[in-house]
Amino acid sequence: MHQITKITGYIAIILIVLSFNFFLPRLMPGDPLSFLTGDPSMDMPIVLDEETRAKLLVYYGLDKPLLQQFADYMHNILHGDLGWSIYFNAPVSEILIGRLKWTLLLLGTATALYMTFGILLGAISAWNRGKKRDVGLLVSLLSIGSFPPFFLGMLLIILFCVNLQLFPLFGAKTPFMRYSSPLDEATDILYHLVLPVTTLVICYIGDVYLLMRNSMLNVIGEDYIVTARAKGLSEWYILRKHAMKNALLPITTMIALRVGFMISGMIFVETVFAYPGVGRLLFDAVTYRDYPLLQGAFLVITLVIIAANFVADIIYVRLDPRLQHN
Amino acid sequence: MSILRITNLKTWFPTRDGIVKAVNAVDLEMKETERFGLIGETGSGKTILGMTIMRLLQPDTRVEGEIVYKGHDLLKLSEEEMRKIRGKEIAMILQNPTTSLNPVLKVGNQIAEAIRLHQGLDKRAAKEKVVEMLEAVKIPSPEKRVNEYPHEFSGGMRERVMIAMALACNPTLIIADEPTTGLDVTIKMQIVRLMKEVTKQRSMLFITHDLDAAAEICDNIAVMYAGELVEYAKTEAIFKNPMHPYTQGFLNSLPNRGLKPIRGMSPSLIGIPNGCRFYPRCDCAEENCKINHPEMVELGNGHLVRCLLHDRS
Repeated sequence: MHQITKITGYIAIILIVLSFNFFLPRLMPGDPLSFLTGDPSMDMPIVLDEETRAKLLVYYGLDKPLLQQFADYMHNILHGDLGWSIYFNAPVSEILIGRLKWTLLLLGTATALYMTFGILLGAISAWNRGKKRDVGLLVSLLSIGSFPPFFLGMLLIILFCVNLQLFPLFGAKTPFMRYSSPLDEATDILYHLVLPVTTLVICYIGDVYLLMRNSMLNVIGEDYIVTARAKGLSEWYILRKHAMKNALLPITTMIALRVGFMISGMIFVETVFAYPGVGRLLFDAVTYRDYPLLQGAFLVITLVIIAANFVADIIYVRLDPRLQHN
Repeated sequence: MSILRITNLKTWFPTRDGIVKAVNAVDLEMKETERFGLIGETGSGKTILGMTIMRLLQPDTRVEGEIVYKGHDLLKLSEEEMRKIRGKEIAMILQNPTTSLNPVLKVGNQIAEAIRLHQGLDKRAAKEKVVEMLEAVKIPSPEKRVNEYPHEFSGGMRERVMIAMALACNPTLIIADEPTTGLDVTIKMQIVRLMKEVTKQRSMLFITHDLDAAAEICDNIAVMYAGELVEYAKTEAIFKNPMHPYTQGFLNSLPNRGLKPIRGMSPSLIGIPNGCRFYPRCDCAEENCKINHPEMVELGNGHLVRCLLHDRS
């Protein structure tokens, strides 16, 4: 019963997001053709006559009433049709699917790394509160965490790609490369992944570290930690078995919320490293004013965020037995 | 034979406002299989004394004196040696089972971890032992309960879990910190009876402000006030013939003895003045009490009291 309510909730959220995705661009002044029709303020060279304009409106379905357009949009989306990209001249869904795997690879690897290390270091820091180890971690992680991702990305490129020439400069794979084996290909992909992932990890680890440290400090003061000590358990055991699980409870929720922030960092990182993911696509779509593509990219990003929340929900219930029954 | 001998124990906490002298020059001796009651109001330092014995306080706490357990000074042991004492030789039942049990771990595992650590049993054997322990503290259908979480237990049942946890490795000495607080009367009496039963062949330091429970369980009672012991005697003597004005006041504040509160408040443990600590609240106080700090004196038959009214020296 509980699960059903939850899933219904998520479906409702997705429907609301879809509506926003449809209506928000249409709330802006003008329509997608206004810059084609030679609006002087747009400084466009192409001038369309009224007849062509009317034809184009019919072609894009913009002559229909708004609600009818909305119904069409929803109908198309539910059938997997996200529209036609104006710039790439290809179906939006096809472009997105091609890009999504790279974004998921980048985002997934970075998230796994910065979460693991952030949580671990935060826990160690809190457990050694006030000692040298804690202060050292606090200062170093806070200072590296305050780099903006695009700036850090450029620094890394200058250092590792231009000066040291250790890592490839751009892309997810070496162009026109023929791989002798799948392992060879994987190595190449990994090689391209190192710097973008490093940038994301460095930019976001500070956040998780601080959250975990605070959460852990709260847990350390709890009575059950004293109980565990009174049993003669070792500090490391108590940290692992008793403190971690409790400290992770608030972290799961917060991390799901941070995925949204990470998307913005990902757009920068993918752009700086010319990484062929959804973030870079979004940047291009904005540059080329490719509205269907923009809508599609927004949709995918929103779905990724909702999925992250969904996963956090599941993990939270797993971690906290008090939520399993009611 | 004495199992625990505490000599001149001081537990001081450095704070920004000054040093909190929570335990001050406490001497106490417990014999084998003795059940020793430590009573006093909230803030008198009873819990801190228990925690000091277990060495569970923050590392920056200043602890001086001797805590000799079976011939070894616990304060001189390394942290690692102390871990082998905790839970195995001396077990502690902490206050408030609601917060003292880990909410995200199964009750069975919380009991089993001490058994596995100290007795080296494997998972299955430890689980069998846990079921046995839950049975011993009279928790119904223990096979089912081992796999449940603390929030699925009632207050009384949680207290039983705490007791089972302490008993798990068959300790010689149990320090029970207010195990009856927060329970309703019927449950309280069950817990008291259970505590009495499971400590038959053990020593127990029973920390409480519940005099009825202490009377039911303990052989001897020490009364603590503002960080020091003010009276020590056999249980009957404390109840029939209390010598210290504080003990008398404490007894008179009980519901079945007139419900008459002691006037004033217990003093701050920072910057304690000279003289008797109970002096500002004492009805029998004399001018002398303000200046001279009384020493423990024996009134015969092992009855000790820290009061100038009884100090003829």
